[in-house]
Amino acid sequence: MSEVLQKETMLSYIEGAIESSSDAEAIKSINERGLKALNNTAFPTRKDEEWRFVDLKSITKNQFVSLENANAAELGDISDHYLPEAMQSRLVFVNGVYNAELSAVEGLPANVIVGNIAEHADNDALKQHLGTITNYEDDVFAPLNDANFNDGTFIYVPKETVVETPIHILNVFTDADKAFYATPRLLYVGEMFSKSTIIEEHIGLANNVYLNVPVTEFKMFTGSNVHHARIQRDSKEASHVSRPIAQLDKNAEYHSYTICLGAKLFRNDPRVIQDAEEVDFTVDGLVLIDGEQIADTHSIMDHRFAHATSHQLHKVVVNDSAHSIFNGKIFVAKDAQKIDSFQENRNLLLSVDGKVNTKPQLEIFADDVRCSHGATIGQLQDEEVFYLQSRGLTEQKSRELLVYAFALESVESMAVESVEKLLLDEVIKYTNRDNK
Amino acid sequence: MLEIKNLHAKVEGEDIEILKGVNLKVNAGEIHAIMGPNGSGKSTLSKVVSGHPEYEITEGEILFEGEDITEMDADERAHLGLFLAFQYPVEVPGITNKTLLREAYNTIARANDRDELDPLEFEDYITSKLEVIEMKDEFLERSINTGFSGGEKKKNEIFQMAVLDPKLSFLDETDSGLDIDALKVVSDGVNKIASEENAIVMITHYQRLLNYIKPDHVHVMMAGRIIKSGDIKLAEELEANGYDQLEKELLLNGEAQ
Repeated sequence: MSEVLQKETMLSYIEGAIESSSDAEAIKSINERGLKALNNTAFPTRKDEEWRFVDLKSITKNQFVSLENANAAELGDISDHYLPEAMQSRLVFVNGVYNAELSAVEGLPANVIVGNIAEHADNDALKQHLGTITNYEDDVFAPLNDANFNDGTFIYVPKETVVETPIHILNVFTDADKAFYATPRLLYVGEMFSKSTIIEEHIGLANNVYLNVPVTEFKMFTGSNVHHARIQRDSKEASHVSRPIAQLDKNAEYHSYTICLGAKLFRNDPRVIQDAEEVDFTVDGLVLIDGEQIADTHSIMDHRFAHATSHQLHKVVVNDSAHSIFNGKIFVAKDAQKIDSFQENRNLLLSVDGKVNTKPQLEIFADDVRCSHGATIGQLQDEEVFYLQSRGLTEQKSRELLVYAFALESVESMAVESVEKLLLDEVIKYTNRDNK
Repeated sequence: MLEIKNLHAKVEGEDIEILKGVNLKVNAGEIHAIMGPNGSGKSTLSKVVSGHPEYEITEGEILFEGEDITEMDADERAHLGLFLAFQYPVEVPGITNKTLLREAYNTIARANDRDELDPLEFEDYITSKLEVIEMKDEFLERSINTGFSGGEKKKNEIFQMAVLDPKLSFLDETDSGLDIDALKVVSDGVNKIASEENAIVMITHYQRLLNYIKPDHVHVMMAGRIIKSGDIKLAEELEANGYDQLEKELLLNGEAQ
């Protein structure tokens, strides 16, 4: 431990002490666990294999304060960010704090729970699963969330219940005098043969510096099914380090689609862990970055039992001096036969100064599996641009259209029309920016 | 309509000239065929005329309706009414035929101070053009050339030509890779589009296309120049004798020059 103490910890970049604010045992025990890990875990450096390529300066040059000490701006009207499909199935969190007034869940079936973790801390399913799925070893970010969270999303979908309405988890972040940290938390428990669609959004309302460290846990029982869209539109000065993890029981399906548009530094470590045979999951991503943005995805698809189907399409567009990092681990355990796993990382580099690091990492110990993987880094093909230009489109418009087409496939996986539309607008904004 | 004067061109950044002094004049209402062996520069000519950035014009000029277009970008040339049907049409996944063509049609309309078509008007207009190449409605909703057969790609080029209604079209080996049925459909399409107001230049290796689209003028291109021009009889001679005879003549002429 003495060795660790000589190094920086997460707390080196946090001003003031982190204390549990909860009386509920389910929350308090995790808070304490988190604080302990924070004290005992060194902050990552470039010497750590998992952090080799990423510049963490956006975090380490700051001292982040708790929300109470940040003098956060008052919240304006955010109704523009509501989804028409989820007007009665929405939770709103402002800088990580639950806002009951702006939340509305009347549109959901009566037996479904969608509410604040702090208000459901006595729920048996919550007590049983909260904090048990996340398993990030030697990590300083999940512990920060563990130590600090009190509010958060709790979703419980009972046996054989299908929630038709998408559930919108809207995390907004306001301007503030000081850089602050926020720790959005989400626990999803899907009982046998339940089904739902979750739209998890992170939106920075201003251009301020903050540290957003969400932890999401999905406990998926037999035959349950979730479509999980995650849209990251944090402030372009913010840092966002995500820890989304799902644990899948037999025949469960978990499909996640992460869209990265905002934040100066985005680090996302999605993990899907197979806990029984015959599961099906997706860990797709779309990254559109420019300026000096960094987007780093380190995913794990952990096949531990036979007969899994998994899919990962990670698409990236890089402009200016932005930097994308992708490390996709596919684990297949010794007895996990008949796995069908697909991984592809496609990078479109639009500028000379942009940077892409990509590393598919397959560790396969079973012999009867099909794992395909590929990574490409390319520019727009001159012949494609010329083809469109010869039809009368300007060079700029031709390039825009090609980038749009590249991103489109990922956008179309959103399954919620208004989300697809808002993302298409974002894609157009991204490709159009030179015309402004 | 089109006048090419002593055109020399090379691949940007390379030394070897591919076009070595091409002269060609095309009037409205005419159909021309440019024939020649592989590597003669005929495909390059079509790309240079339509403004491919890969090529650099080192000498000569291209006049379109009296205007010097030598320095223009490909889109500006398209706005004036130039069109290139590609030998290898490019696949663009994610963009439908309809999206591209509406954007293209309206961009060209704007550049010429003509009225743009709104989505509904355009739908009617584009649907009316489908019969030119005997395609069904769903063709419009497919991603550009993505997963198309060779024949469908070539038909799509002629369809785009019908929709954009250019003044001058270069058809670069539009017949290559087509079976006889597809060749008929494509040729019929071109014949329907051809009028007294527009002009067409077909680039082809083989004479068979000329059985379906009758050219007013036939040119033979070799070693980067048009070495002989004539009417349909020239094509028939070539079919009978091959390019060898002409190659010998070229050598003699080359010495004479």
